[in-house]
Amino acid sequence: MTPGAPPAERALLLALALLAAGLFLATPGLIRPWKAEVPWHESAAFFPRLGLLIAALGAVAELWVRARSTERQASEELDSSAAHLPRALGAVLLFALYALGVPVLGFGVSTLLFLLACGRWVGLGWRRAAALAVPLAALLWVVFVLGLKVAFGHGWLF
Amino acid sequence: MDLLSTFANGFAALATWPVALSLLAGAALGLMVGVLPGVGPGVTIAVLLPFTYGMPPLAGLALLLGVYCGAFYGGAVTSILIRTPGEASSIMTMFDGWPMAQKGQAHRALSLAFMSAFIGGIVSALVLALAAKPLSLLAARFGAPESVMAIVLAALCVGRAYQRQFAAAMMMMGLGFFLGTVGIDPNSNEQRYTFGWAGLLSGIPLVPVAVGLFGMAQALVMVSSPPVAVDKTLVAAAGLSARAFLEPFRYPRTLLKGLTLGTSIGVLPAVGAALSTSLAYFWAQRGAQDPTPFGQGNPEGIVAAESANNSNSGGAMITVLTLGIPGDAITAIIMGVFIVHGIVPGPALFTERPEIVGGVFAALIVLNVLILLMLVLSVKGLARLAYVDARLLGLGILALSLVGAFSAANSMGYVWIALAFGIFGFACARVGIPTIPLILGMVMGDTLEASLRQALGRSDGSFLPFIERPMAATMLAAAVLMLLWPLFRRKKANP
Repeated sequence: MTPGAPPAERALLLALALLAAGLFLATPGLIRPWKAEVPWHESAAFFPRLGLLIAALGAVAELWVRARSTERQASEELDSSAAHLPRALGAVLLFALYALGVPVLGFGVSTLLFLLACGRWVGLGWRRAAALAVPLAALLWVVFVLGLKVAFGHGWLF
Repeated sequence: MDLLSTFANGFAALATWPVALSLLAGAALGLMVGVLPGVGPGVTIAVLLPFTYGMPPLAGLALLLGVYCGAFYGGAVTSILIRTPGEASSIMTMFDGWPMAQKGQAHRALSLAFMSAFIGGIVSALVLALAAKPLSLLAARFGAPESVMAIVLAALCVGRAYQRQFAAAMMMMGLGFFLGTVGIDPNSNEQRYTFGWAGLLSGIPLVPVAVGLFGMAQALVMVSSPPVAVDKTLVAAAGLSARAFLEPFRYPRTLLKGLTLGTSIGVLPAVGAALSTSLAYFWAQRGAQDPTPFGQGNPEGIVAAESANNSNSGGAMITVLTLGIPGDAITAIIMGVFIVHGIVPGPALFTERPEIVGGVFAALIVLNVLILLMLVLSVKGLARLAYVDARLLGLGILALSLVGAFSAANSMGYVWIALAFGIFGFACARVGIPTIPLILGMVMGDTLEASLRQALGRSDGSFLPFIERPMAATMLAAAVLMLLWPLFRRKKANP
């Protein structure tokens, strides 16, 4: 294997480095009101800039380390090696629709539809998806809406 | 005497219905998530955190501590029966537990693991109770420079724990420090990085970030991964043996090695259970009494790994209670319960809220007893949870993440923050960037900034207090050594 990080790794690390560096430089415009006359150690910008500096330098250092390494860096926290990217993106999209649907359709109906649709999307059969969606949506509705009175707002059905 | 009265106060504080029910629910949930494929205590605690806000502080803490402790025990079940460690800290249990189960001794392996973990849990709670008070007295002598250096040292410990990903871990820690500063600066009332959006005035909240990074990212991995085929032939053999329950006491030296390493390494930030179990396992190989080769079903392998594993829980809480510095993601989220209820962890906690401190000590003891009882009653049924399709669990976690993020402030904005951090956490997992340091940075950032400003304000911007004060200087030296150690080691390896 030749040294060098895959494009996705490079892109994410580079984006983080640029974002941190950009925020560092743009800080005077992002703190309101900006007090330029305050000594550096009393400035409201001192600590966030320190954090951004650590983040930017860390990203650059990690890019440099990975550019020289022949081994791929796997996450030590969460093994996503078998994860199928389009399937995950689809689940994200369905979750976003779920979040948009709650104020319109109500929590119970949205949860039911989300679990059914997402269950089908990730490869569950209709029966299995329904066997999960119906009781879980009912349980969550009973516990959180009826029991704990979480105010999701009134939707179309519930 | 002081210790006894602390425990007496602690047990009295636990004797209320909300706390007792939280202990029961937390222990049961912890056991389940330890066995369920792909779900860890971090995910569960992140999703549960918002629901603890409406509870009395000790009830919330009891619930999360129950999940934390229960998962240690539950992880052993899958390691032994299906050769799948739920957590990195259970890998060493698998090495001898699985071969022992294959020889038809699943009952013995499980009993050895549970009893060793039980001893570890009880000893660790007692050590926590014994060590916390003197440590808090030491911490009470900390001024701003010492607090700064303690957090810097903890941050470097976290970075070093990731070994080759040190730079990535520090990058995420820096990002966490930064994210913690968004909102109104409490000192100057200036708006920092709010982009004029009123929703950001009170800052980026910890709950949706934790729900996204741990709950949603994990759920996205679970729903998008194909179901894993595991050998479940031994699941039906789950059970316990009364004789094997006493077996750990036949290996006192091994037990002592596990307990020593577990309680001492548990104190170090981020290093945690995985390192202590592997060190205890390899240390136990020296001078082992049982002639069975390690890796082929040696009982001392299980005793060393499990006693070290569960004795971490007390150690990890020491730094939270005495210094207000969390050692890992789970204790960082548990610290969120303190913060939300306006309780400041640190030396003052021992005088201002002794019932909380005593309650935590007593809860750890009660939880270990409860969990052991639950295991005796339900290990067979519990083991069957390993059959559950991870995709179903992932879907459930996604739905709960929405509820958890929303109910923290009855705001759909929190759900969008959770989703954004869920996508970010998933992307980080894909490219091998650790996310736990970001949460630690967010939690420790507040104290670090306040202490740093105080120290530099008093010295008019001079860094001399960090060198002139003995405790701060010692911690600074340790931090520099930790930073430069890999260079020395490389030079030694390639002279």
